[in-house]
Amino acid sequence: MPDLIDGSENVSVHGIFNWIFLLAIFSIITAIGNYVGYKHPIQDSLIGMGILSLITLLGVWMERKLPLNISSIIYISVMGIALAFPTMPTSEFVTYYVSKVEVMAIVTVFLAYVGIGMGKSWNEFKALGWRAIIITILVIASTYLGSAIVAHIILVMTGVPA
Amino acid sequence: MTDDNKDTTNVQHIYRNKTDKRILKKNPWRDYRLHFTVLVLAVIAMFIGPIEIQLTQGVTVSIMPLLYTMILGLAFYLAKPITWIERKQSRVAEGAMMLFIGILIAKLAVSSGQSMDLLFKMGPALMLQELGHLATILIALPVALLLGFKREAIGMTNSIGREPEVAVVIDKYGFNSPESRGIFALFIVGTMIGTVFISFFTSICVSSLPLHPFAFAMASGVGSASMNAAALGPTLAAFPGIETQIEAFAGFSNLLSFSIGIYIVIFLALPLTEKLYYMLEPKIGREAVVKEEDDSNA
Repeated sequence: MPDLIDGSENVSVHGIFNWIFLLAIFSIITAIGNYVGYKHPIQDSLIGMGILSLITLLGVWMERKLPLNISSIIYISVMGIALAFPTMPTSEFVTYYVSKVEVMAIVTVFLAYVGIGMGKSWNEFKALGWRAIIITILVIASTYLGSAIVAHIILVMTGVPA
Repeated sequence: MTDDNKDTTNVQHIYRNKTDKRILKKNPWRDYRLHFTVLVLAVIAMFIGPIEIQLTQGVTVSIMPLLYTMILGLAFYLAKPITWIERKQSRVAEGAMMLFIGILIAKLAVSSGQSMDLLFKMGPALMLQELGHLATILIALPVALLLGFKREAIGMTNSIGREPEVAVVIDKYGFNSPESRGIFALFIVGTMIGTVFISFFTSICVSSLPLHPFAFAMASGVGSASMNAAALGPTLAAFPGIETQIEAFAGFSNLLSFSIGIYIVIFLALPLTEKLYYMLEPKIGREAVVKEEDDSNA
């Protein structure tokens, strides 16, 4: 049975201190990477990461504590959108500091964990053979292109300037 | 429909509980060598920055720093001399990753919030591009049949095969069915090479296809969060000056794939895949490559 990893949306609720420590470690690494790659001041990045960590923490907490069967991804997205919505009083503060953290800095650190985490599936992957690889590549390429082409057609039809 | 929902979420809960145990037991933050390794990898990757390779006139492939850290992370796990990144660290990293994904989602959500008026204006394109995902059935299913897959092909080609879709297929066909074996294979291979592949593929597409920047941004949201991020890299690099809008579209499209994509799979993609399978299989099906096991509980 394969482990369902890679971009899953579900996290624990109990070890709240474990979460806080993990998020702090992640924030520090990302802030350093953000400085090395994009020269954003570390203090600004840390405040930005603090905001994002708080949203994440609330999201995963709500997923478990609220009686609704809603994934943390939805909670986190709704909170992020609401806090940055132009008419909200929090908007200016949140968008200023969060925009200091480049999405690529977050992703670069995130994917290091993904890489280490997916090592466990390596043997299963090797056993699958070239046919599965061809099909997977076709599936990803055609899903991506299908989505891009439909989006392009609708954008052109609705008269969106490039 | 309500029954479908309940079973699907139960399948997801199994994995959530497993992660819970991992995060609880291991005190994951204490594994300082793991985090220090990640820090070193990230600093090296950011220091090198993206590398651009010109394939032919006008077609460039850009290799993003995110690929260096992911591939080096995997290499560190596999390399024998590196004794401080082993199975235990891999499990910790897996648990931690599921928390860190929230940061990525939150960052994209903030970009979406800033550009909400734009997202509303582009609503039709955002919604309808979800239907573009069905292209995989038309292209990948015939090839899967030609390669000798049988009912596995239904699981393998109905969608991009991330967690929500895996849950739907297990729920509909049963854990030991050929359809589920198919989507497991897609899931594993997609996990291993999907992120790398979509990053290269996107950089080729943005440099060679004359599509709207927002269309590329929406398309990058088709798969998992890692795949979204990997596709986003070359798109951001190709269209400087509209980063926030591109992040907004990518993030929102990924959210849509996650939330309504599952219903498209249940109501459209799976029925369509089956229909096409029964139409094409007698004509172009080959000898089965996967031995028939007990399909009775399918």
